[in-house]
Amino acid sequence: MSATQTFLLELHCEEIPARFLEPLTEEFRTAFSTWAKSQGLVSTTVGAFFSPRKLCWHGALPVSQPDQTETQVGPPQRMCVDESGQPTIQGQKFAEKWGVGFDQVRFEQPAGKKEPCAVVTITKKGRPTVDLLAEALPGLIASLHVPKAMRWGKSDFEFVRPIRNILCLFGDQIVPITVDGVTATNTTWGHRLYHRQHAAPITIATPDVYESVLEAAGVVVSVEVRRSRIAQQLDQLAAEAGGRVVADASLLDTLAEIVEFPKIVRGDFPASFLELPKEVLVTSLREHQKSFCIEGPDGALLPCFLTAANRPDDPAGFVKAGNEWVLKARLYDARFFFAEDRKHPLSDRLEKLQALTFQRELGSYHAKTGRVVAIVKALATRLSKDEAHVEHALEAARMAKCDLRTLMVGEFPELQGIMGGEYLRHEGAHEDVWMAVKEHYRPIGAEDAIPATPMGCLLSLCDKLDTVAGCFAVGLIPSGSKDPLALRRAGQGIVRILWERGWALEPAELIDIALKAVGSKATRPAADTTEALMSFFKDRVAYQLESTGYAGSVRRSALAAGWENLVDLKARCEALSAFAEDPRFASLAQSAKRIGNILKDEHPVHAFDAATLQDATEKALAERLMGIEASGDQGTLLAALADLAEPLEAFFNAVMVKCEDPALRAARLSLLHRLRQAFLRVADFSLWQ
Amino acid sequence: MHIQELILRLQRFWADRGCLIGQPYDLEKGAGTMNPLTFFGALGAKPWNVAYVEPSRRPADGRYGENPFRVYKHLQFQVILKPSPAAVQDLYIESLEALGIDFSKHDLRFEEDNWESPSLGAWGVGWQVVLDGMEISQFTYFQQVGGLDCRPVSAELTYGIERICMFLGGYDNIFDLVHGEVKTDDGVFPVTYGQMRQREEFELSAYSFEHADLDLHRTLFEAFEKEGWRLLKDHGHFLSAYEQALKMSHTFNVLDARGAVSTTERPGIIKRVRDLACGCAKAYLEHEEGKTPAAENAEGAEKHGAASAKGGAK
Repeated sequence: MSATQTFLLELHCEEIPARFLEPLTEEFRTAFSTWAKSQGLVSTTVGAFFSPRKLCWHGALPVSQPDQTETQVGPPQRMCVDESGQPTIQGQKFAEKWGVGFDQVRFEQPAGKKEPCAVVTITKKGRPTVDLLAEALPGLIASLHVPKAMRWGKSDFEFVRPIRNILCLFGDQIVPITVDGVTATNTTWGHRLYHRQHAAPITIATPDVYESVLEAAGVVVSVEVRRSRIAQQLDQLAAEAGGRVVADASLLDTLAEIVEFPKIVRGDFPASFLELPKEVLVTSLREHQKSFCIEGPDGALLPCFLTAANRPDDPAGFVKAGNEWVLKARLYDARFFFAEDRKHPLSDRLEKLQALTFQRELGSYHAKTGRVVAIVKALATRLSKDEAHVEHALEAARMAKCDLRTLMVGEFPELQGIMGGEYLRHEGAHEDVWMAVKEHYRPIGAEDAIPATPMGCLLSLCDKLDTVAGCFAVGLIPSGSKDPLALRRAGQGIVRILWERGWALEPAELIDIALKAVGSKATRPAADTTEALMSFFKDRVAYQLESTGYAGSVRRSALAAGWENLVDLKARCEALSAFAEDPRFASLAQSAKRIGNILKDEHPVHAFDAATLQDATEKALAERLMGIEASGDQGTLLAALADLAEPLEAFFNAVMVKCEDPALRAARLSLLHRLRQAFLRVADFSLWQ
Repeated sequence: MHIQELILRLQRFWADRGCLIGQPYDLEKGAGTMNPLTFFGALGAKPWNVAYVEPSRRPADGRYGENPFRVYKHLQFQVILKPSPAAVQDLYIESLEALGIDFSKHDLRFEEDNWESPSLGAWGVGWQVVLDGMEISQFTYFQQVGGLDCRPVSAELTYGIERICMFLGGYDNIFDLVHGEVKTDDGVFPVTYGQMRQREEFELSAYSFEHADLDLHRTLFEAFEKEGWRLLKDHGHFLSAYEQALKMSHTFNVLDARGAVSTTERPGIIKRVRDLACGCAKAYLEHEEGKTPAAENAEGAEKHGAASAKGGAK
């Protein structure tokens, strides 16, 4: 094993957009590892750092490639040596070709040759790693895939942002590379503000001091360290303010990505802004100021916020004052929107939805509202006999999209639904109505909860159903990684609502209702759309089982026994999971498979005469069949099936099903057929492994 | 700091670093980028550094002079550096220091903010520059202008004058800013931004939200477009044609502020502005490329000769 040295490459750029930092770091890491392997440079894992202005990779590599020996086979011996044992011209040429004297040529019979041939063994000296790095790195850097590449200055070179310095070391050696006119050195730049006082770049003598030297120059190069420092300061400052941080993992990530030396600063805003809805404040602070809100023990916001500065301190209080000043301006705007929007009732926007396109073929949001109302009408009566409920649900459906024409949603699109709900609440709408409107976009993602109220769930379901069915009806069907309208997410939302609410509405029925609402706007035959939607929903249901956490055997066998009735499917999955560890199930699954094989190509009748049966084991089975067929709920049924494991095994051990006696044989087949029907009420055990 | 002092310092700073000091262009426009000093200056290969103030109109931002932070018309200070210098970020930071900002006490960030002007066929990548949490500048590396690749690339720095002034002075109301001082024999009279502009804000907001004649503006839009293409096609005049594109753009903004443009119409209307602007950009470059030094000298000599001839006849 040869000696190793640490390699380090840092591209110091102008501020790289936060969203590209990690992908670029990862891409280069993979490309570099692949390259190192191809060169015979077995490396330890390549580590990486990044900060707004730095992309950095490091790892140990051998100081040179291993020497490689190769055997080269030449012409047959008879052509290389003449009768007197002297080398022929051809023999000498072969030696020359490989740069050796003729005395080093051996004669052996290599595998696959019919006679001895000239053979030489060449030792290829491994090249120094530093040379290989110098040759390969510029190409590896240039071939990074940058999603929004730019040019700068006079060059045609493209990268994510201008590269201003390259630090490239192998041990204490500088790897001499040049990228777009920038030549590597053993120096780099620390924090921008640090260099307002220190004109010269900082020297990194060896890779192992990289982190500590940069921290001293104001840059924490590890994003994990920055993130944990931010999280810890957030918690501490929120506690000091008497509350806790309104959690937002993606905002935390963003802050860790946009600062090089994080310092959390707490600022205050006038308490009068607390009259704005909580969501407006949280969104405005997050979107405009990348700030966290603090909530008190009761969940209400406190009039203060937390934001990250890109420096270690706030010596004159300018950072706090500046952020407070800006936030006030932002909240002033938010209050203006909130007041303006409420000058007219929300319902005034209904007509204006005609000018807002939902989708070209499907028409405006006004048209969409009409369809959602129709779907709600069809389903609400199914779920509630209370006429007032139905009326409220219809009212919520009519109002659901109106907030798209409000100033606040124009400014903060992510407040759609929430603002509609808030405005309706201020207008004195019924709680069911405003809550439903407020929550009808939920669940927004896999992490988000479904609406808290039944009416919210109904509205969300109908809205998403219209989106999915409508798009399918005009040929907008997700395929592969292409799902620009996020229909899979909408479909998942539908399934989750049915699943979590326990609503026994079957997909076929929902599709039928939704396609009726789409009516003549459809551009594809209804039968094709229905088929595509059924397969789409089946996939969504399968995904639901997976994300609920059921084992593969439970999912496979339960789904195969029917997926459309989600309430029933859920009960079966629960019951199966409860029995999954039961050893009798393995045996039962074996027997089920056996039954499947036996019944293949058979057409047993349902009825059989128990008296025909002869063996004690089959009589016992027949007795149990009655009990099993009578069990109502899935749990009891499964318990009964589990009890069947042993008798079934005994039966197969004792009995040859396909016997000579036709009557007996028919009765046995019928018995097995009936048992399988009972199994299939829960699961297809042949898929249980 | 007074508004005029801030402008003077920025002009001095950039003039000292080799920028021409330009003037605002005398047509309504939404941003300093639309000034021909930038639009045409960013095209082609010749070196071009220029800095100027540009009053910028955004009809939809009008608040009748009642909102302390938002106005129909604000001032941009615009710098174009072509090709973009290697130390452009440092230069920018030094310009802030020239305004008295001491970076030992402030927080500065460059946050991704890519710029696009669909009506100019222009886009670039860059940042919003955030000082203590406030966006004070837009920083862009132009990649395309008028639908044409920028080679070399220009850096564009846009300072929001009023914002920076408010921020430096801790003002809570834009109209309280002091533009400058009038000194007479009777004493010194500070003049506020409000005294200079508040009534204008009121009237221009009222105009764009209430009084503008929409039919007239629709007609004007069509007429400017026709005029622009006539100038460009029949005469090869890209400067006067470009003025028509600027007028189309402002006319569109007036209509848009009134909600008179539907979401479906919008892209089509913007495209009509862009088509004309891109036509002007192309004609400009063709003109520049055709203007070889020899041809230019000949033209100059000819003019000179004509003048002498005139002189001779005198």
